[in-house]
Amino acid sequence: MTADATGEATGDATRGHGRFGTDAPPPQGPFPPTEAMLSEPVPGDVARAQEDRLRRVWKTPEGWRYFSDVNNTSVGRWYCLTAFFFMLCAGVLALLMRLQLAVPGNDLLSADRFNQFFTLHGSAMMFLFAVPIFEAVSILILPALLGARDLPFPRLSAYGYWCFLIGGIFVMGSVLFDVAPRSGWFMYPPLATEDEGIGSDIWLLGLSFIEVASIAAAVELIVGVLKCRPPGMRVNLMPLYAWYVLVVGGMILFAFPPLIAGDLLFELERSLDWPFFDAARGGDPVLWQHLFWIFGHPEVYIVFLPSIALAAMIVPTAARRPILGYSWIVLSAVGTGFLSFGLWVHHMFTTGLPTLSLGFFSAASEAVVIPTGVQLFAFVATLMAGRVKMSLPMLWIAGALAIFTAGGLTGVMVAIAPFDWQVHDTYFIVAHLHYTLFGGMVFPVIGGVYYFFPVITGKELSNRLGRWAFWLIFAGFNLAFLPMHLTGLKGMPRRVFTYPGDLGLNWLNLVSTVASFVIAAGFAVFLWDLLRPKGSRRTPRNPYDAGTLEWSQSPEGETWGVRSIPYIHTRYPLWQQERILERMDAGRYYLPDAEAGQRETIITSVIDARPLQVLRLSGPTWVTMLAALFTGGTFILPTFKMYAPALICGVLAAMTVLYWLWTATARIPERETVDAGLGLKLPVYVSGSGSVGWWAMWITMLGDSTAFASLVFGVFFYWTARSDYPPPGSDHADPWLAGAALAAALLSWGLTLVARGLNRRRRRGARLALAAALPATMAAGAALFYALRLPGLDPVTHVYPASMWVLVVWAGAHLGLGLVMQGYCLAGLTFGRITPRHDAPMWNVSLYWHFLALTMLVTVATLAVVPRVM
Amino acid sequence: MIDDPTLEQEQEFAEEEASLIKLTFGPLIWAAHFVLSYGAAAVVCAKFPAAIAPLRWAIAGVTLPALAGILWLAWLAWRQWDFFDRDESHDRSGERRHEFLGQAAFLLTVPSFIGTVYTALPALFAGTCR
Amino acid sequence: MPQDGPQAGPRRAAPWCRLLGAFLAAALLSACDGPQSVLVPAGEDASQIDRLFRVMLVGAIVLWLGMNGLFYFITRRYTGAISRRRAEAVILGGGVALPVVVITALLVWGLSIMPDQRAPGDGLRVRIVGEQFWWRVEYWPEGAEAPVVSANELRLPVGQRSEILLDSADVIHAFWIPALGGKMDMIPGRTNRMTLAPTEAGTFRGACTEFCGLSHALMALNAVTLEEPDFDAWLAAEAGPARAAEGPGRDLFFREGCGACHALRGTPAQGAVGPDLTHLGSRTSLASGILPMTAEALAGWIRDPQAAKPGAEMPAYDHLTEDELATLAAWLEGLE
Repeated sequence: MTADATGEATGDATRGHGRFGTDAPPPQGPFPPTEAMLSEPVPGDVARAQEDRLRRVWKTPEGWRYFSDVNNTSVGRWYCLTAFFFMLCAGVLALLMRLQLAVPGNDLLSADRFNQFFTLHGSAMMFLFAVPIFEAVSILILPALLGARDLPFPRLSAYGYWCFLIGGIFVMGSVLFDVAPRSGWFMYPPLATEDEGIGSDIWLLGLSFIEVASIAAAVELIVGVLKCRPPGMRVNLMPLYAWYVLVVGGMILFAFPPLIAGDLLFELERSLDWPFFDAARGGDPVLWQHLFWIFGHPEVYIVFLPSIALAAMIVPTAARRPILGYSWIVLSAVGTGFLSFGLWVHHMFTTGLPTLSLGFFSAASEAVVIPTGVQLFAFVATLMAGRVKMSLPMLWIAGALAIFTAGGLTGVMVAIAPFDWQVHDTYFIVAHLHYTLFGGMVFPVIGGVYYFFPVITGKELSNRLGRWAFWLIFAGFNLAFLPMHLTGLKGMPRRVFTYPGDLGLNWLNLVSTVASFVIAAGFAVFLWDLLRPKGSRRTPRNPYDAGTLEWSQSPEGETWGVRSIPYIHTRYPLWQQERILERMDAGRYYLPDAEAGQRETIITSVIDARPLQVLRLSGPTWVTMLAALFTGGTFILPTFKMYAPALICGVLAAMTVLYWLWTATARIPERETVDAGLGLKLPVYVSGSGSVGWWAMWITMLGDSTAFASLVFGVFFYWTARSDYPPPGSDHADPWLAGAALAAALLSWGLTLVARGLNRRRRRGARLALAAALPATMAAGAALFYALRLPGLDPVTHVYPASMWVLVVWAGAHLGLGLVMQGYCLAGLTFGRITPRHDAPMWNVSLYWHFLALTMLVTVATLAVVPRVM
Repeated sequence: MIDDPTLEQEQEFAEEEASLIKLTFGPLIWAAHFVLSYGAAAVVCAKFPAAIAPLRWAIAGVTLPALAGILWLAWLAWRQWDFFDRDESHDRSGERRHEFLGQAAFLLTVPSFIGTVYTALPALFAGTCR
Repeated sequence: MPQDGPQAGPRRAAPWCRLLGAFLAAALLSACDGPQSVLVPAGEDASQIDRLFRVMLVGAIVLWLGMNGLFYFITRRYTGAISRRRAEAVILGGGVALPVVVITALLVWGLSIMPDQRAPGDGLRVRIVGEQFWWRVEYWPEGAEAPVVSANELRLPVGQRSEILLDSADVIHAFWIPALGGKMDMIPGRTNRMTLAPTEAGTFRGACTEFCGLSHALMALNAVTLEEPDFDAWLAAEAGPARAAEGPGRDLFFREGCGACHALRGTPAQGAVGPDLTHLGSRTSLASGILPMTAEALAGWIRDPQAAKPGAEMPAYDHLTEDELATLAAWLEGLE
């Protein structure tokens, strides 16, 4: 921790500026600030006036309007509580299942109800608790960790939250009407595709809806970490939690889309009878397993890494020294992120794949032990190098370690394929996965709640109750789940609603059931501690004496986050930067004011966090809730075969979102630059690769392309899995029409780029080019449709035409979206929302079209060329 | 405090942005090697099960360049990390951004290397389509 | 049990040590045996995996104690801070070196036994088709042109490696006889292959392990392993026609139309919807491993199959009188 940790001592604000597409005035003024500038006091009356303005701008709406808030502290709180509520619901289901299994041959629950319960228990814990709680906690604390006022797209967070709430209630509520999904949280076809009733549709549509919200949150968080860091916080100074958010956000981006692609195939089979998973018509149920587990295994790490990230914040505080092996932990986070995508087949070891293929996945599953080991030993080393002060959060982390290492070691065992052939789908796996999830998720998250509670609420949780909760959950957990290893080895399969009394399983099951209520008691204590009235006395500002920025949150319950955004040049600023708190509170640093009366935060460069822009953030609104309601209708109504109302909802959702974009994004500012404090003048409007919108588009399209790649993977999968793909003598897509579709799409793409260029150079013709692009886009869609329609390829007859049609559906939907975007830009140019200087939407739309051009190229090649070669 | 971005600064920035992407090169080689091996095994076992012996050689043939590539990246990153530079102002632990990116890239080649070796092991010990 | 749930936690939490003691005692008593246990192998494959497991178990316990002992020590006992260099050595040694050594050895062991586990068979082939919620079983001895059809029980010769072909008629099931070897899925549209080499004669229980619907929990079967001469004799008998004695039982069977779904070789009953019943009485269990092969159980099953197995396709014959049911059941039990 040298004083020179900042890197170069001199510099100026313009560095790192000048990415392509940026036409904004460059930042002007000194950067980094000198000590002399920082030690100059702020006059008291100036500071008070600034505070008033900030308070007014960041005021949380009151009364019923509270729910129109979009600020990360409100949304994050709702998100956390909602996810926690769903966890409790899923926990109650688990208790009921344990009661059913307490004795052999029990008839407390019917087979059907039990199947609904275990399906919902797994689905809810994964989709409604484990992943959302990561997003919830991150939305809540990431801006605090980065000293930012909010995340870059507050309304997107709010929209994601409302989607999550609606979808979660829909899926969870189904159990009350006895129509919950009942084919397991993995929904294997053909059982799930052929299941009568609406359970499978509830699962598919309800959770797809939530997956979309998850991706929205991931985009938000990635851009938050890359662009919203405080000035000077280079990548090597980021709090470790931010590194994990970056890695996990990236993983969500590549892991969720295959599942969304799978959901699309699944729902097409259920509602239109396209035979993707029907073996009789050339389909293969194993494709679903691939798509599900390409999502499902990274998902395990998506759940695990953020929790370890919480530990990475708690451990240095307990050791009272900076983390040791910072780079090692970054290695382990990034390494785990990558390797976790090479493990999915270990959920499919018994599907009869070739031995050699299984071997690859067995090997990768073992390789992932190394980054995980590095992670744990970095904590051990930090604790060894520091002087440990055991605190309650640290107790939870220690418990997590004890449980997680046991789960990890059984994980090493089941990664060996032959051993997995024995214990796969038995209670041994139930024990293993609960050990990894309790140790790798539940315990660290509760530890994190105890740790961060003062940051979020200004109150502290009870130490005594916390210890009670810990020991009850810890003891109950081990009593319930340790015996399950043996239960599984003695032959008890998973997902059974009953078992015979003569297999020697009775005692083991009874013990597990009794102990599950001990866990429940522990959670009850925790819940009481969380919700009980805590009086009005606020805790001291930094009760654990931690070193990171989140503990600088304003103590008096101000909603502006930080009074001023500090200049950071160390990893633990509260330990290593003298007088930082005092200067932040005095408003000495950046953005101490809100002169324009708008919510603002600072945007910095990706690597070195040089200040680039003052970003105007959007404030409270109902439009996000409306958009979520309509989106919800679009997904939920088809469950009940109400297709027309669903379509109407879809149109309304699109209109709401357009209204939202039109009124609240890329608004042309009243001034080009504003004073960001410390003599720094920063632009307000940035377009091209310097803008957060462009980054969000880029990241979203990466995820979108992954979903598309999954559909193309399906084509190649069918080719290897089936000898009748494509069926001999089958018709193929019309190559001329397909070629014409590609040509029209490329033309439209070109015209979009030309329009952007002409507008930027203040030439005429931009509107004309865009107007010409619209019919080209429509022509591309029509040609693509007829390329399959004319040869008479019927998707219901065989998986080959179905797999071609789904590509056309995908490309067509994207062309439709591209059309809307072109129309939006045309309208923007016409009504003065886009000018030669303020052309951010043009850049974002061009970026979308780059991806669309690539999508069209691959689609047309796969339609017209690939099957003829196969 | 000049406002013009100089050419040199532009270049330095470009190098650093590339460095963040460079972090992922090691794991990317592992991923490419993994996808190639798995894809080849899937196609060979489904369509040409007789070609299992050449497949095993092919996997070995892909593994060696992959490992060489990872080692080369490790060497580049090692130099950027500058482990043996004992200059006082120079912090070996990677506190500074440039060295940090080098160190992280170097460390990432370690699991990439091990992962790639592991991916090749099945071809050696479990090289059958059954 | 359900009523005292809410207050059960706190009351039982205090003496949890006593519970642990009770659990340990119970665990020791019941130990590892059981008809469906992985831990009492009776086949080559299961034994090989069992050896692997025992070594891994010991290793895991040692590593767990080491890791958590270290953690306890440094957080509770150890006070002197060590140097940064030492601490980095801890990361390198514990996080990289140790796992690389242990994992590589284990991986090589695990990979190298995979080909053994899938070695080709010696001659007998058995095709098993999973259906909701029972098993269709066909024996194809070497050179046979037509199979010997049976259901819901698997018999295998000791000392031979038999090939099992696995298929499904509806949804995904998985076939597993823990005492003999690992499991394998039965997937519609695919034929999976596994081999089993029993080393001991005996009766072992197996079960469907891939969730297959309403009565997934009630889809089991017994595997009976026989010394080679016994097996040959049994197979010869199994291939023969049903000993369907004339009498009121037979009349009932045909009057009620049982033959539309079930086959009795050598009689007009040739149905192939449900399990083959040719030698039903000689099987060790009824209704795919969930009921004993007794006349009472048979009568109860025929009266109301859904009571024993929700979702079973067989209709209820509750219009039959108790006497008729008893007669039919006794006759069926006599089909040996």
